[in-house]
Amino acid sequence: MSYIRRRLGDLSAYVFILPAFLILGLFLVYPVIWSIIASFKDIKPMALQKSGLFGIPGQFVGFDYYVDALQNPLFIKALVNTLYFGVIFVPITMLGSVLLALLVNQKLAGVNFVRTVFFIPYIVSVVSASLIFVFLFNGDRGLVNALLSQVGIAGPNWLASSVWAMPVIAIMTCWRNIGYFMLIYLSGLQSIPTDLYEVADVEGASKFEKFRYVTWPLLGRVSLVVMILLLISSLNVFQEVYIMTGGGPADSTTTVPFLIFNRAFHYFEIGQAAAMSYILFVIVIIITIIQKKFVDKRLG
Amino acid sequence: MYAKKLLPTIVLWIFGILFFLPVYWLIASSLKSDAEITKFPPTLWPDTMVWKNYPEIWDLLKFNVTALNSLTIAIPTVILTVLFSSMAGYAFSKKRFLGKDAMFVVLIATMTVPPTVLLLPLYFIITKLGMFDTLLGLILPFSVTVFAIFFTKQSIDDIPNEMLEAAKVDGSGDFRTFFKIVMPLLRPTLTALIIIDFVQNWNSFTMPLVLLQSEDNFTLPLKLALMAQESVSIPWSKILAANVLTLLPVLALFIAMQKQFVAGLMAGAVKG
Repeated sequence: MSYIRRRLGDLSAYVFILPAFLILGLFLVYPVIWSIIASFKDIKPMALQKSGLFGIPGQFVGFDYYVDALQNPLFIKALVNTLYFGVIFVPITMLGSVLLALLVNQKLAGVNFVRTVFFIPYIVSVVSASLIFVFLFNGDRGLVNALLSQVGIAGPNWLASSVWAMPVIAIMTCWRNIGYFMLIYLSGLQSIPTDLYEVADVEGASKFEKFRYVTWPLLGRVSLVVMILLLISSLNVFQEVYIMTGGGPADSTTTVPFLIFNRAFHYFEIGQAAAMSYILFVIVIIITIIQKKFVDKRLG
Repeated sequence: MYAKKLLPTIVLWIFGILFFLPVYWLIASSLKSDAEITKFPPTLWPDTMVWKNYPEIWDLLKFNVTALNSLTIAIPTVILTVLFSSMAGYAFSKKRFLGKDAMFVVLIATMTVPPTVLLLPLYFIITKLGMFDTLLGLILPFSVTVFAIFFTKQSIDDIPNEMLEAAKVDGSGDFRTFFKIVMPLLRPTLTALIIIDFVQNWNSFTMPLVLLQSEDNFTLPLKLALMAQESVSIPWSKILAANVLTLLPVLALFIAMQKQFVAGLMAGAVKG
């Protein structure tokens, strides 16, 4: 009896954990399981509506929807579009946030105020930010084209161009995120022991050398974490596209989540959407594992 | 002294202006008249300030209703998140129970799940629970977050066990200890959590888009987005005024509680 008692631990612990257990179980873990089951089934929306909470009716179709997705040119295009987004978003956000962190880490005139300004875009919702950028990059009367025309450049109609629409979305996302990642780098910078810089001073290191040989390597771990977070958020771009371009022009801004949303909520292709979302999940897991290996190798 | 730092100061301020520009442009444009907003090149500041854009868009947005909906969702969600997550954080930090390690691993694993994977099943699960097109459907399922559990657990780890044991010796029950000793000690953490979670819920768009149907239930961002998309007839100045109205509450909260917010984010940011 006392053995069982000891194995069970504190009885009150179960009360403390219960709300989280129920809510996360039903609204986080169960959906993950639901999706994988759904991705192997031909689900009729009508049948699904009639079934119970834990019923996922439909005929088993194996990996059909996964094969379908990978053979679907639009899905491949969405992956390429997502890559295009990431290629712009990830490096600019990383470089931008390191640079700003280095700047705000110094005692400069007005630094506290400017730091706040850098952070404000992060609390601006994606909806608000998207609308602001739609207006800024308006082809006929946007501020960006007005500024460009000052230096003699006729700006394109950004969001109506299949080349430029995605970069605008990426730049907007950079604007929203750099302040937050700046903070992460700032806490990284502040954890670097100051005596390392004193040693470097004694050795007569230049400013650049100090950055290259002290700051950058010690920020390595932070950078890897930041990179994982940025890559994963590149794979989750949805609201921006929904509001700014609706996936167009000519599907040039259709990202994987946007495609999945359309499949699910416009065409009610439940199994297909679930399969696509799991392919996305697998990509995220692969990225995470590769990065983790990288971290272990560099630190071990 | 200052000459040496002149260059970084200038660079800092250039970036500061660049980052502030979209917000400035938002505010300036929201005060322009319907005619002035279509001018090219645009005026840098409104020739005449059209304050009536605001009361007009207030009505179109049904601000009274939509803002109340947003608050009715955000406030209970934040309160429950703080309560439930810190309870779980306490259990993970200081208690022994069956399946603790396994649950912890599952929690860490869920952090990689893309939100897109959850969207469709959440829609069906919440609908089957009868919460489709209700505000409750946007409160209950989001009243615990994995982030909040880790965030509170980190701070609870720092509370010395001796302190809790001393309370136990003094005859304080588990719940009394939690509410009278642990929660007060978590104050800075919980303040940061409240702000972070509030901003997140206030700004939320995708779940309301999927789960809300009747206009009387719409939240501010949802109403704003649909208004901007559906009605070409509303001039941009008014859309932007609506945008300012949507932004103002979180901006005010942020400016009032900036220190706790930033400190909290920095503490919780990198512990991977």
